[in-house]
Amino acid sequence: MAASVAPGVLLHNINKQIWILYPKASFHRCAAVRRIGTSASRCKSQPQLKRKSSPQELVGVVGLEIHAQIHSNTKLFSGSQVGFLAPPNSLVSFLDASLPGTLPVLNRRCVEAAVMTGLALNCTINNKSLFDRKHYFYADLPAGYQITQQRQPIAVNGMLTYSHLGGKKRNQVVNKTVQIKQIQLEQDSGKSLHDDQRSQTLIDLNRAGVGLMELVMEPDMSCGEEAAAAVRELQLILQALGTCQGNMSEGQLRVDANVSVHMPGEPLGIRTEVKNINSARYLARAIDYEIQRQIGVLQRGGTVQNETRAFDSKSGQTIPMRDKEGLQDYRFMPEPNLPPLIVYKDNASLPTGVDACQAVVVERIREGLPELPSVTRDRLVQTYAILPEHSFTLVNEDGLVEYFEAVVRETKREPRNVIGWVTNELLSLLKQKDQSVSQSPVSPSALAELLELQETGHISSSVAKQVFQEMWRSSGKTALQVIQEQDLGLVSDTKEIHNICQRVVDSHPDLVRAIRNGNKKVLNKLMGLVQKETKGRADPVVVRALLEEKTS
Amino acid sequence: MIVFSLTSARQSLGVSLKLMRPSLRLRIRGHFCPESHVREATRPYSSHTHNPKVPKAATWEPVLEDQLPPPAKIPADLVDKLERLALVDFRTKQGLVCLERAIRFADQLHVVDTDGVEPMDSVLEDRVLYLRDDAVVEGDCAEELLQLPKSTVEEYFVAPPGNIPLPKREERTAMLKHSEL
Amino acid sequence: MLSLTIREVSLALREGRISATELCRRCLNRIRRTQHLNAYISVTEELALRQAQEADSRLLQGAPKGPLDGIPFAVKDNFCTESVRTTCASRMLKDYTPPFNATVVQKLLDQGAVLMGKTNMDEFAMGAGSTDGAFGPVRNPWSYAAPYRDRTGADPDSDWVITGGSSGGSAAAVASLTSYLALGSDTGGSTRNPGALCGVVALKPSYGLVSRHGLIPLVNSMDVPGIITRSASDAAIVLGVLQGRDVRDSTTVPSPSSLTELPEDFDIKNICVGIPKEYHAPGLSQETLAQWSRVADMFERAGARVEQVSLPHTQHSIVCYHVLCHAEVASNMARFDGLQYGHRSEVDSSTEAMYASTRHEGFNDVVRGRILSGNYFLLKQNYQHYFVKAQQVRRLIADDFRHVFESGVDVLLTPTTLADASRYSDFMQEDNRTRSAQEDIFTQPVNMAGLPAVSVPTSLSSRGLPIGLQLIGPALQDRKLLSVTQWIEQRVGFPTISDHGDDSEGRGDTEVTKREHSSSV
Repeated sequence: MAASVAPGVLLHNINKQIWILYPKASFHRCAAVRRIGTSASRCKSQPQLKRKSSPQELVGVVGLEIHAQIHSNTKLFSGSQVGFLAPPNSLVSFLDASLPGTLPVLNRRCVEAAVMTGLALNCTINNKSLFDRKHYFYADLPAGYQITQQRQPIAVNGMLTYSHLGGKKRNQVVNKTVQIKQIQLEQDSGKSLHDDQRSQTLIDLNRAGVGLMELVMEPDMSCGEEAAAAVRELQLILQALGTCQGNMSEGQLRVDANVSVHMPGEPLGIRTEVKNINSARYLARAIDYEIQRQIGVLQRGGTVQNETRAFDSKSGQTIPMRDKEGLQDYRFMPEPNLPPLIVYKDNASLPTGVDACQAVVVERIREGLPELPSVTRDRLVQTYAILPEHSFTLVNEDGLVEYFEAVVRETKREPRNVIGWVTNELLSLLKQKDQSVSQSPVSPSALAELLELQETGHISSSVAKQVFQEMWRSSGKTALQVIQEQDLGLVSDTKEIHNICQRVVDSHPDLVRAIRNGNKKVLNKLMGLVQKETKGRADPVVVRALLEEKTS
Repeated sequence: MIVFSLTSARQSLGVSLKLMRPSLRLRIRGHFCPESHVREATRPYSSHTHNPKVPKAATWEPVLEDQLPPPAKIPADLVDKLERLALVDFRTKQGLVCLERAIRFADQLHVVDTDGVEPMDSVLEDRVLYLRDDAVVEGDCAEELLQLPKSTVEEYFVAPPGNIPLPKREERTAMLKHSEL
Repeated sequence: MLSLTIREVSLALREGRISATELCRRCLNRIRRTQHLNAYISVTEELALRQAQEADSRLLQGAPKGPLDGIPFAVKDNFCTESVRTTCASRMLKDYTPPFNATVVQKLLDQGAVLMGKTNMDEFAMGAGSTDGAFGPVRNPWSYAAPYRDRTGADPDSDWVITGGSSGGSAAAVASLTSYLALGSDTGGSTRNPGALCGVVALKPSYGLVSRHGLIPLVNSMDVPGIITRSASDAAIVLGVLQGRDVRDSTTVPSPSSLTELPEDFDIKNICVGIPKEYHAPGLSQETLAQWSRVADMFERAGARVEQVSLPHTQHSIVCYHVLCHAEVASNMARFDGLQYGHRSEVDSSTEAMYASTRHEGFNDVVRGRILSGNYFLLKQNYQHYFVKAQQVRRLIADDFRHVFESGVDVLLTPTTLADASRYSDFMQEDNRTRSAQEDIFTQPVNMAGLPAVSVPTSLSSRGLPIGLQLIGPALQDRKLLSVTQWIEQRVGFPTISDHGDDSEGRGDTEVTKREHSSSV
């Protein structure tokens, strides 16, 4: 008998969407279905184009429903704190606990966040929006309804431009757009924690009432990769705005996918909703799996059910969830305790008597918007003359732009020559250890110093790479220290180099003859020999010059 | 017969006595008037002329059955659905009859012409919604909150295991009977 | 002393003719002696005495907080009172003790008023008789007064009449002299209806003028805290304390004026009184009709303009109210599941089963019936057909009022109820919904338009029971409305139940005497 476990120690934490009760028997058959290849190249094709070749080819259609937790001090309708890892039920106000007689009061910061996000996504901001109640019973929804914006949300009709690296070498920036149907404000629910041992569910309402922006992306995407790229871009935008921290694994950004398949040109197929996706990586996998599965169903002559499915990361498959579609009716009703939310176009349209501090003015917010990722990318290309794909990589990694710019500031080297170090050397080491830029053991100054040493001829470029690795491993050591310790400095004694070159030339007469006969490429072999002698510490430029002279 | 006015003289200024109600016999500070009150009470108010601005008869137009749409039918599966959505049971046939009557009553709405009328959510639709500052002013009262429910577990509210569908109607009746107070 | 108005007794306190503690004790005694009325669910004796003592120390120093310092008051049991049981007359909340005070309660306490207890009502304010609560029905104090007994020969113990509802306990408390003011709630007439049947002044303020924070809601878009007092000037004092924007309630508006006293020189000749012809509804009693006519005459003879007007959609208002009310109720009651507070069933096979049996055990038939029909109206397939249709009719009704007020009418004069109070045995012959539809007929259109309205008692019926008339004003003109009310009050000569002293015994002792009108302005 297992020792009794305190109820507070949970066996697992189930998000309310994971209700895996009755996995269908057919699920097992799905795994055996022959996969019809949906290669990346197919994904890049626009489903809307008429394809004259294969009329049998079904393509995927993907829309997304995204819930972004608003980054604010307090919750959407109450003044209790938004926080994580706090003791259970310690961040809960009377309203959050749905005590009778409590009333919602809207947080201005949340409105501003929604407007900022809407503007960044090129939406039309509705100057009047309304709140509604959506009714259903669940243990983590104390009021028995959620306050949301079903009829008239705060922002509509936007567009997100996103890119991903495509092409054979995945180094071409491919631009795509997806339409944003709307952005609405709504409440988050609490958390239910399943305690199997005691057959009970523990409820923590700390998260209940936190503000969410629900973003609906139209089914303009066609595969997992596009969806993941779109979500990534959204994350970057939200993080740049500061309206959402965007961490999927912490639940700050939750993505559900609506997936269907059809023949291009024909009406859309029945769609399923895929939930329980906890990272961008899983998002692509889940969607691609679902597309495959649906194609398989249709190929076998079946029909796709309009249902909700959960993604099981272990198996990489989607599993049907208990379907309440037939039974569910949210009985939407206007929220009577909240008059319409008005945001004003500009200062001029503020009516008299309205407190300027109270009002949310779209123009003011637009003026205060920080630099968005797409603008940053363009700016980096313009300012530093780097390639678009480099710029893409910089912006894509949290903190990398700042790192790069810091290095550039401290070195006289051309940014063009710095970029490789940042996007290749630095980034690959970070990825190996799954670290973030902020965790890099080599600071921008240290890297800048290294580059300076290379620039001024103290070390060769291949040695520089070595030094960098060593700096990484021994975090804290400067380039200079490593060079001195390992005696990697370029040999500055020209007489010494001269002698070595002479020695090599003298000992390889046949090679010298080849060069004199016109085979200039053989010079490289001589260089290689010199470098071997000098353990790579000779300045290649000088060596080449000397050798050329000696073999002329 | 003495008519006792209810009001003291200074309050009945400008109001003719004959308009006062004639039939009140009251205990006024120890004086008792032993007349038969019941007889007095039934005498019609003959001396009073009715103010013409006040309509003498009811002005409502009756709503006829044939003006209404056909009565709504509530099939068994709708009953079941309502009970599940509301988590409230009809209890008896009476409950269903009650619902049917409520719907029939509501059907009278349809004799009103509402063409082009904007629905009204609230009388405050022209008011500006107050927006709160993003400062922490409440919460941090777990102890107070956890005192309110019947059961808690450590610092959590506690519920039975979720996501188990309500039993079928027949079994539900039995379950609820068992729990009858 | 107990039959005085707030102004009068407040003066007595300040002049030292009586202490707050003594006043409190007398009210507590009276509550005990009138227990048969069942007006109170909880009596807060210790708390009241403590508050009274604090008031006394302020009074002794000559520093009362205001006109309400030391004044006993009662609160309907759907207002949250911190650490004091708040039940809404339902098994669902029978042991619920809120951790906060409703804003209106807090404001009264901040003024030094003394809380006597929580009054009885219909369960969750659903009803028009104060007969359908978990703690039993409320009896109208006039059942025990001489006129009723004498004129009908009735035996009060078996033929007692209802108070009306759903704020029956509050009206009974003020009418039976156990407190000087009481808070009720008014959604479709729940304060005005018992006000009329119990012969007291009952004010429904403009929607948004008084905070609903802490009022357990019935219909959020129509609920207002109601004020029950013995005179219009008392109601004005209380309104002055309670009105104003509350940041905790987003549906409150800034108050139009801060003056609490009604004007001394109110000239009725400047007033235009409208008589809406649709308010003669089927079932209106002859006596109430006669009162309506009487007061219309009074206005005319005093030089006010009296006109018949039309509110064409009136007769459909009750149906519209019915749909909107049930829909909101269905929504508001969704929070009662036993998880965070309130009754919780022992059934624990699943969350849904626990919810279902908790709600089965905790709610009475009336509440459950309304939840079911409300959910019906909100179903996707019915939403447009019923709910949105009702919202459209609501606008028509609100527009009717707006047009009339824009055409120069200052106040509307209508009956409050169809007749005087029914006997309990008669009232219970019909079901709650039918009764509510009858009782709320004149009062609910006002809630749909969010306007202020007041019921003022004008006379006793031939059965010796109060008849009241209703005045309706334009939004946020509560003060003017109360001024007109006071004008009527000073002229109709309505008697009040008064106490002849503390040594008189229990029931049957309530007497009727002419009003001590030292408060005429």
